[in-house]
Amino acid sequence: MTETVSRPDARPTRRALLALLAGLPFLRPLAASAQMDPGRATAFIQQTGEALVGALNNTGLSAAQRRERVAGILRQAVDMEGTGRFILGRWWRTASPAEQQEYQRLFEQTLILNLAARFGEYQGVRFALGRSQQRTEDDALVTTVVERPSSAPVNLDWRVADVGGQPRIVDLVAEGTSLRLTQRSEYSAVIQRGGNQVSALLAAMRNQLQQLQQRG
Amino acid sequence: MCMKLERHHFVRVRMLRLKGLVPPMRLASLLASAIVLVGLAGCAARPPASDPEALEEFRANNDPIEPFNRAMYSVNDVLDTVALRPAAQAYRFVLPQPVRTGVRNALGNLRAPNILMNDVLQGEVDRGARTAARFLINSTLGIGGLIDVAEWQFGIPGHSEDFGQTLAVWGVGEGPYLFLPVLGPSNPRDLFGFGVDVVASPWFWFGQGSVVEALRWAHTGIALIDAREGVLDALDELNRGSLDPYSTLRSAYRQRRNAEIQGTGFVAPDAARGTGFGVGTGVPVPPRNPSAP
Repeated sequence: MTETVSRPDARPTRRALLALLAGLPFLRPLAASAQMDPGRATAFIQQTGEALVGALNNTGLSAAQRRERVAGILRQAVDMEGTGRFILGRWWRTASPAEQQEYQRLFEQTLILNLAARFGEYQGVRFALGRSQQRTEDDALVTTVVERPSSAPVNLDWRVADVGGQPRIVDLVAEGTSLRLTQRSEYSAVIQRGGNQVSALLAAMRNQLQQLQQRG
Repeated sequence: MCMKLERHHFVRVRMLRLKGLVPPMRLASLLASAIVLVGLAGCAARPPASDPEALEEFRANNDPIEPFNRAMYSVNDVLDTVALRPAAQAYRFVLPQPVRTGVRNALGNLRAPNILMNDVLQGEVDRGARTAARFLINSTLGIGGLIDVAEWQFGIPGHSEDFGQTLAVWGVGEGPYLFLPVLGPSNPRDLFGFGVDVVASPWFWFGQGSVVEALRWAHTGIALIDAREGVLDALDELNRGSLDPYSTLRSAYRQRRNAEIQGTGFVAPDAARGTGFGVGTGVPVPPRNPSAP
């Protein structure tokens, strides 16, 4: 409710107005123009979901191979650049070009490793498209129910936007919690606690990535 | 903002104490000491108006007493590391899954009168009828609530409601974010709702004597451990994966709580409490691998 996001084409809310007044019509330069048709988004999630489930339930592969295959699917399906930029939010501008570049690299690697490790445990997984597929301002929310043997079903919603003419995942909403909003809050806190320096976040991310790779 | 909140709370706690509504040792003293500490820890610096984005983030986070909350978070971290988490781990280790499910079912069943009250107060008559039916079925056929016969045989799934949600439905705002040791993430509205739920529960009034008193303490203890066990994996994942677990939990809790209040398809587990960790962290966690220990 409170953690909404201002988009260039949103209604002129107070926040959008503020952003305009400050002369900052720079948010989400990607992905914002085209509308996302819910039917197209649903087909895309269906296809991506089937590819993921196929890779996860492929018993002919080792765990590492499964993770690699899942990573490949995600790299294609997720709008890495737009999502990374969204999550860095207002700090994107304060970062130097080199910092922006390193951030995007770390962000992509961390996200892929995290999601692949997470999904990697989902063996015997099934997923079903939920009932409601809704259109939002410039993207579509596709709801799915993920079922695994011996555990309660999980509601997973996928936010799909049009990125350069292609449908791409821009957010994952698990049981009502948006991953990109949570992560934006986390990253911003790290930057602020590090003296408003993006470099503080980059250092923490490097460290985290190293740990993830050691675990992997 | 910060000062107003303090005074406001002092009055509320004192009033509740005078009326004997709040168990004196628990909620009231916790709140009172919390307020003193707000004064000590101070408020978060509000960004200047010249930085509208920072200001907007400050508003969206809804955490004007962040330094205090972070201090409480650290206190909780210590308590959790030395007591709560080990207790939850031991609980999971000692009791097999079916037993733990039974305990959770029974705890949920004991909450049914509260859930019913809140269903009714929210004007949800159908939901209230389902809650009442579940309570009758599970208390009898379900052996005092241990088995969720109502869902299993009658197809009536459970849900959770609390007075914090009822207040939200009535239009009461959440107030500033609040983190309290043991209770976890909350806000004045949900904390007050939690207090109301405690005293509105029939088990709070029912019976007297040392046996009843012991049962009451046992109930509180088991509920606490069950709630902690319920978020064991999610919180472990959060602490391992987040670069700043405090803000991740804050964001996740508030989003999840909103989703719950708006009733957007998400149903809280039966045993969920209106405040703190009971409603989960909202952090998605992979279901445990059945082949793993």
